[in-house]
Formats: sequence, structure tokens, C-alpha cells
Amino acid sequence: MKKLILLIFLAFNAQSELVLEITKSSNDPYKIAIHDFLGAKDIAPFIESIVKADLIRTGEFDVLGSEDLLSDIRNDGLINYKGYRLLGVDFILIGKVINEGDSSLTIEYAIHDTSKEKKIRSSKVYGIPNKTRQLAHYVSDGIYEEITDLPGVASTKMLYVSEVDRSSSKIFRLMMSDSDGMNEQVLLRSNKPIISPTWSPDSKRVAYVSFETGMAKVFIQNIATGSREIALENKYQISSPSFSPDGKYLSLTLYQDGNAEIYILDLSNKNLTRLTNHYAIDTESSWSPDGKKILFTSGRSGSPQLYEINLLKFNNKPRRLTFDGNYNAKASYMPNNEGIVFVHRSGNEFQIALKYFNENFSRPLTESKLDESPSISPNGNVIIYAIKEQDQGMLAGVTLSGAKFKLPATSGEVREPSWSGYLR
Amino acid sequence: MKKLVKKKITLLISFILVTVSCSTTNVTEEAVYESVVSSVEVSVDEDKSSPNELNDYSAKAVIANAVVYFDFDQYSLSNKSIQTLRSIVKVMKDNEDLEITVSGHADERGTREYNLALGQRRGKAVRDYLMLNGISKNRINVKSYGEEYPLVKGSNESSWAKNRRAEIN
Repeated sequence: MKKLILLIFLAFNAQSELVLEITKSSNDPYKIAIHDFLGAKDIAPFIESIVKADLIRTGEFDVLGSEDLLSDIRNDGLINYKGYRLLGVDFILIGKVINEGDSSLTIEYAIHDTSKEKKIRSSKVYGIPNKTRQLAHYVSDGIYEEITDLPGVASTKMLYVSEVDRSSSKIFRLMMSDSDGMNEQVLLRSNKPIISPTWSPDSKRVAYVSFETGMAKVFIQNIATGSREIALENKYQISSPSFSPDGKYLSLTLYQDGNAEIYILDLSNKNLTRLTNHYAIDTESSWSPDGKKILFTSGRSGSPQLYEINLLKFNNKPRRLTFDGNYNAKASYMPNNEGIVFVHRSGNEFQIALKYFNENFSRPLTESKLDESPSISPNGNVIIYAIKEQDQGMLAGVTLSGAKFKLPATSGEVREPSWSGYLR
Repeated sequence: MKKLVKKKITLLISFILVTVSCSTTNVTEEAVYESVVSSVEVSVDEDKSSPNELNDYSAKAVIANAVVYFDFDQYSLSNKSIQTLRSIVKVMKDNEDLEITVSGHADERGTREYNLALGQRRGKAVRDYLMLNGISKNRINVKSYGEEYPLVKGSNESSWAKNRRAEIN
């Protein structure tokens, strides 16, 4: 007899935190001078260090701290712009932390442009002190947005799966963390595998595949309440969920006739619409940003390749998108709809690749052997994916500007990353 | 004509916006929001149905346990696999009450969802062979565990070959 124990409690912080490692930065970064944050001595250096790490991780910034600067400026009325320019500095950040006990924490910051010789931004971020990391991420995102004209993703979250081997059994956890791997929280703990986690567009719910009933089933879980439901009740195997951009539909793979076929589930009435009908494998569906097309992996040519279906056309045929190599799978559209990111086999190695729609070749983005599960940041600039190093699964990231970073778990394996939408 | 005028106006507006943002400091104020998070725990007590444990058929004195192996990204049965399945057919014909589960598995290479589908195809290939040889479909339960339950750890060909399998029990 199977006994299902179900517990819901307020999330605890897990011990197996990821540790961020920056392995390479981009070739032509903005140079930003970050002066020691002023104000609350106990907390200001901590906030400053988070902001610095966030900016470095984007791959688009070269950060100079106070130790790298000739003179210290405490008064932004007297900035020696020329002196900064001589150091190659493009921007100057001046921050101040105001800690009013337990009630509120405020960060004020200003950005100066050394070529314009003026202050270009003056901002204030406030919240409660136990959200210090998120306050710092808001600051990083404000700086990133001001300088690059693109929203930052430091304040977004990630989902991933961790697996820890205990002597007699394995423990699988669906985790949520900040985009830098800190502030880990457990969404689901199970002794059966969990795969394919993904966010609802409003980032309030997650969908994933759990094997807890003895076979793959798709679940939808509310992050705040922990309440969850099986997406579709039937006796078949179901997997590979993906929310439509409006959050009303879930595309999924249903094994109703013993073979993987893609369906669209209307979440309001649980009506199913069949999308593929082929004796080969069809799976790994994902939606275009405008919700009009679905991308999927199909084995119909004899090896896994990527196809696209236009949902607005009646009775249309899937269009094949990849032709190089014998393995192209698990694709998603770039948020700007200019291309797709996917897993590509090159020789005996599996790597993450990018194909722009206006190019007829794929660009490899990574170079290790078993890279999988790419997930794109909402601003389209960073791709997080899973790698294997010395038989250990860990997460790594690559930016379109060429910077790289790694997020190794301090214990066990981590994999299946999924990037949230904007939360700020 | 009308369209053209509109375009010009839009251009003019965006020009003004750019000019404005160049000449003043961007001032912002925002409150940080972070929602609560709840954890869920599920724990399934084993009834020996775990894919890596053999079901206990000893009470019935009949055992239909076997493993067949596959090539990378393939689900066709090798001659060796067919030899193995012939003995399963015989056992199942001699014991009409015997029902089996075929669980398909994949190695770690390639994507997890494609491997889940591939595991299903491997299980189905076994079922199709048994059905072709007179075993009723309702006696064969097929499921896939994809690459989630490797038999052997390690990122090398010898481990991968052992993990690309269908287990019958």
C-alpha cells in the first residue's frame, strides 16, 4: 500500500546554499566606480557587496571599489569627473543606507555620468530590514536599467531541483532562490524525482513534474500558500508543462496513446486541445512571447529536432527550425522573439546554442560536455543552464555579452533551473 | 498621408523624451516587495514498486524479470533483447495470471523530457513485441522513468550503456 504524507509549512531556509563563482566577464564592460556605502555601518558594506556582485554577474560591468580609486568623495557636489575619466570610469555610484531599527530600511543612491559630468539618477529604495538582499537587488536593477536601458534581473528568482543521496534513499527538492543563488527556500520535498519546473507568467505559481504517484504527473503549486493540484486527472503519464503568456493555458505532453503528444490544457475548464499527432516523440513545448506559436522537440525526422506550430492557423503543419546536427531539443523563444535557445549536440558533447531567426546557423554558447535545461532571463541577456562537473550536477550561467558564472551547490546536485519573470 | 503625419509626431515626441531625459536627473522611489513562501512535503512509503527493486513474485513461484538494453536515442530491440523477451513470452504463456510492468529508462545524455518520452518508447517496444507474440495488452503495464533512475552512476559509455534499458518485472 502506498501512503502519501503531505505536509505544508512556512518555507525554511535550506542549508545547501549555492555559491556564486564568476568565471569570465565580457570584453567591453561599462566601468563603474562604487564608493563605500555611507550610513548604517553594520549593514552598508553587506548591501554594497551584493550590489557589486550583481553588477559583475551581468557581465556588462567592471566594478572599481574605493580601494581602486585615488580620492574619496563624500560630497557629490565636488566630484572630480576628469579624474574619474582618466581612470576610465564611465559611471560613479554613491550609496547611503538608512536603518531605522526594525521598522524600515532605506537605500538612497545616485549615479553620475563622468562624460556628461552630472548626476543622471537619484533613487530611493525602501523596505523592511529582513528583506535586505532584495533591497540591494532593487538597487542593482535600478543601476543596470539606468545605464543599459534594459530592466535588470537581480531581483528575479530561480527554480531548480536539488537531489541529495542519503544512505538508503534519495531526497528531491524543488527549490526557489534569488537570482544569485542565495535565499534558498524549499517549495517541495519528496522522495521521488521532480523534473521540469516552470513559472506562471505572474511568478505566483509554479508547475512541475513529480513522480510521487508512481508515474510522471504535472502539478501546479501556489508559492505563497503551498496549495497544489494535479493539472489533469487521468491514468496516463503527463509531463513537460509550459504556461501560456497570459497564464490561462498550460501546454503539456500527454502519453494517452502510449506515445508523447503535445496538448493544450485550458486551466479554467480543463478542456484539452490536441496539438500534435505523430507516431514519433513530440514533447518539450514552450510558448512564443506573444502566445501565437508553440515550439517543441520532435523525433519525426529520425532524431530530435525543433519545430514550431502557428496556433492561429487552422490545420497547419509544424515547421522544422533546426537542421544542423542530430540532436536539437528543449528550446525556448528569446523574450524579444528574435531567436531560440536550446540544447544542441556537437560531436559527443551536449551544449547550449542560440539560433537567431534571421541566421541559418546556430551559435554555441557553452562548451562543456553535458549541458542541458537552458532557461532565459526575462530581459533576454542571461541564460542559466545545468552542467555536470566530476559527475556532479550544478548550475551555470552565460550572458549574451560573453560573461560566464557558476552556481555550484555546497551539497548534493542541482539541475533543471527555471528563471522567473520580473518581480520588481 | 495621415499615417505619415502620425509617424512624424511620434518621432518628435520620442525626440523630446530623449532630450528631457538627457537634461534632467532621473528620480525614482520604490518599495521592495517579496511574497511569503510555503513548503510542501510529500513522502511515498515504498511498496517495493520502486523501479530499482525487483518485485517479489517468489510467492507465485514464477518470475518474469528481465532487463533489455538499447542504443543511444534508439528504441529498437536487438537480437539479444529478443532472445530475452522470448523467455518472457514463454513464462507469461505458461502463467496466464502473470501481469508485468515494463519500465523504460534512458542515459543522462540529452534532455530530461525527451528521455522520459524515449523511456516510454523503449517500454512500448517491449510491449509491442510481447503483444505480437500473443500476450494480451492488459497484462503489460508500461511506464517511463526517463533518466531519473540510473542503474549505474558515472558519465562514461559503459555506465550509459547499462542505463539505456527497459526493466521487466
